[in-house]
Amino acid sequence: MIKMLNAVMVCTSLVGLVGVYALKYSVEDIASAKVALERKIDRQEGDLSLLKADWSYLNQPAHVAPIVARHQEALALVPTAQDQFGRMDNLPMRPAAPDTAALDALLSSLDAGIDPIEQLIEAN
Amino acid sequence: MAIITEGAETISLDGGRKARGNLTKARIRWVIVALVLVFGTVGGRLIQLGATVTDSTIEGIERDVITASRPPVLDRNGLEMAVDIRVPSLFAEPRRIIDVEEAVQKLRTVLPDLNEDWLRKRLTGDKGFVWVKRELTPAIEEKIFQLGIPGLDFVTESKRFYPSGQEASHILGSVNIDNQGTMGIEKHMDDDSLALLQSIGLARGNEMTPVNLAIDLRVQHVMYETLQDALVRYKAIAAAGVMMDVKTGEIVALASLPDFDPNNPSTLFQDYNGVKNDRFNRITSGIYELGSTFKTVTLAGALDSGKVRITDQFDARFGVRFGRFTIDDFHGKHRVLSVPEVYKYSSNIGTIKIMQQLGKDDFRAFLGRIGMDKPVPFELPEMRKPKVPDKFSEIVAATSSFGHGLSVSPLHMVRAVAAFVNDGNMVPPTLYKRSEADARQLYEQVISPGTSAEIRYLMRLNALEGSGTQMNKLANGYRVGGKTGTAEKVVGRTYSSDKTFAVFASAFPLDNPRYAMVIIVDEPQDENAQSGHTAGWNAGQVTGRVVQRVAPMLGIAPDFSEMLDTSLVPVELR
Repeated sequence: MIKMLNAVMVCTSLVGLVGVYALKYSVEDIASAKVALERKIDRQEGDLSLLKADWSYLNQPAHVAPIVARHQEALALVPTAQDQFGRMDNLPMRPAAPDTAALDALLSSLDAGIDPIEQLIEAN
Repeated sequence: MAIITEGAETISLDGGRKARGNLTKARIRWVIVALVLVFGTVGGRLIQLGATVTDSTIEGIERDVITASRPPVLDRNGLEMAVDIRVPSLFAEPRRIIDVEEAVQKLRTVLPDLNEDWLRKRLTGDKGFVWVKRELTPAIEEKIFQLGIPGLDFVTESKRFYPSGQEASHILGSVNIDNQGTMGIEKHMDDDSLALLQSIGLARGNEMTPVNLAIDLRVQHVMYETLQDALVRYKAIAAAGVMMDVKTGEIVALASLPDFDPNNPSTLFQDYNGVKNDRFNRITSGIYELGSTFKTVTLAGALDSGKVRITDQFDARFGVRFGRFTIDDFHGKHRVLSVPEVYKYSSNIGTIKIMQQLGKDDFRAFLGRIGMDKPVPFELPEMRKPKVPDKFSEIVAATSSFGHGLSVSPLHMVRAVAAFVNDGNMVPPTLYKRSEADARQLYEQVISPGTSAEIRYLMRLNALEGSGTQMNKLANGYRVGGKTGTAEKVVGRTYSSDKTFAVFASAFPLDNPRYAMVIIVDEPQDENAQSGHTAGWNAGQVTGRVVQRVAPMLGIAPDFSEMLDTSLVPVELR
């Protein structure tokens, strides 16, 4: 009986030993993977900060203005003058009344079951 | 002794069993002692390990502090003005360096600008940490890694980078190598709250909420470029400008030339054309006699008191005598002038008469009311106290009425002009974004809305018919109004007529004022033979050029209808 118990206990402790060591090694692996990931994140954050700085530098008026100046002649760029601005209410009214005869003809042909647009599509 | 020598026999009374039992007891005791010793050692070591304080500082500075980050600074449209970039910094652990000579030679192949002797001294010894070079580029970091020198390593530091370069230098200020603000808004952020955040460890290495400034970088760019152009065009020694939203007090643009590069703060101390310390912020920490632009202030005070009305006439036929001095007009008309004419022709005599009708003590009190005698409450730490006498004598009051004998900063003037056109509501200027509702809580009524309408009329009148016509020609359609000021500079002990200080204080669009602006040009020369040398020809033109370019950006459409101007005329004068 006691021998049996001893054997069981030895087995359990062996299994426990193997289990604990396996856990220990897997934790170590995960820890080193975490450190590696952290380093990677850190490096990428660093790169990102440089890219962001680059992007904002390229977007600055101070950076764009010299480019405009360089191409001023070729593209005929000049600052907008006051008289180049317009308003919606300065636009002229619609020139003529709608073509009622043509609209009537279209409606009557539609009533008769002939759709001129459909015919155009079919013809093509 | 005697007993032993007698050779007495010892008699053993214990049985074999008891003897074994005693032996076992003794063994158990020894085992207990051994165990206590072993566990005692382990425990002692644990206590020892727990008690040791590891040195986490880097040459006396906490490791966290040097990697402290700062919030990005954005303009009002979200464009970055200052960002943090992560850069590697090289350090060495001298006690781990095996061959110092080899390390020195190898390092100098990558960083040839390091002094050989200095580097050798730095790497020798038993120290745990020394900086070799801070804020390097990733490319150099890679090269040094390739060298494979033991005892050299990198930490990632935050470095401040200003993508806008010099354009907003005086607003942003600069930081030192430990990322602490030393000037401008950077210093203000530190004094305000950031230092506290960093000290309790919240501002370390993490992304921080960006700070939104009121500056519009597009407007700032136009202002900067136009001022640079002014330096060349008028061969001036300095130029500066500030634009403020009259309703909210937000500073939309602020530039002062000569300036410095915030990415390289030591440029602040470089001489400019042989002049030392000339790169300061002229808008906040420069105080000047602002000349005739001050007439706007005098007239606002006089009209608001009710002692002077816009329909009054003043005798400007003869100069005003004070003992030995006679003050006369620059563009003398020498006749009786109405109040709008006094303003339009910039009559010193008329302004003195108007001030005298108001009374010198009331005039001084009005200057106090609009805060001319105290520094403007503002975020930038670079501030200088204005020079305004506590009590005015007759002659000082007279010269003050047209802007001589007292010195204030251009920021004082822009705040006053903003209040005058904004129905008399004065609001403290700010570099941070502020909503109109928030600004209303800070409003301080300095003149009545009626007087404000009269001042708007006078400013517009001056642009149409007075000294602001040069400006108006350029900014036609944007309803700008303003007053010129050409102050003679003090050279030695007297005022010089060829060294002048030109100012233009303006606001636009005057039918519904939104922005106030002050431009200064120091010692301008005539642009060409045809141009005059008063402020309208330089500071005025600069104002016109700025408005012409920025008004569309700010959503102000040009309007040429004369009705807008006629509606500004007060009822009494129609």
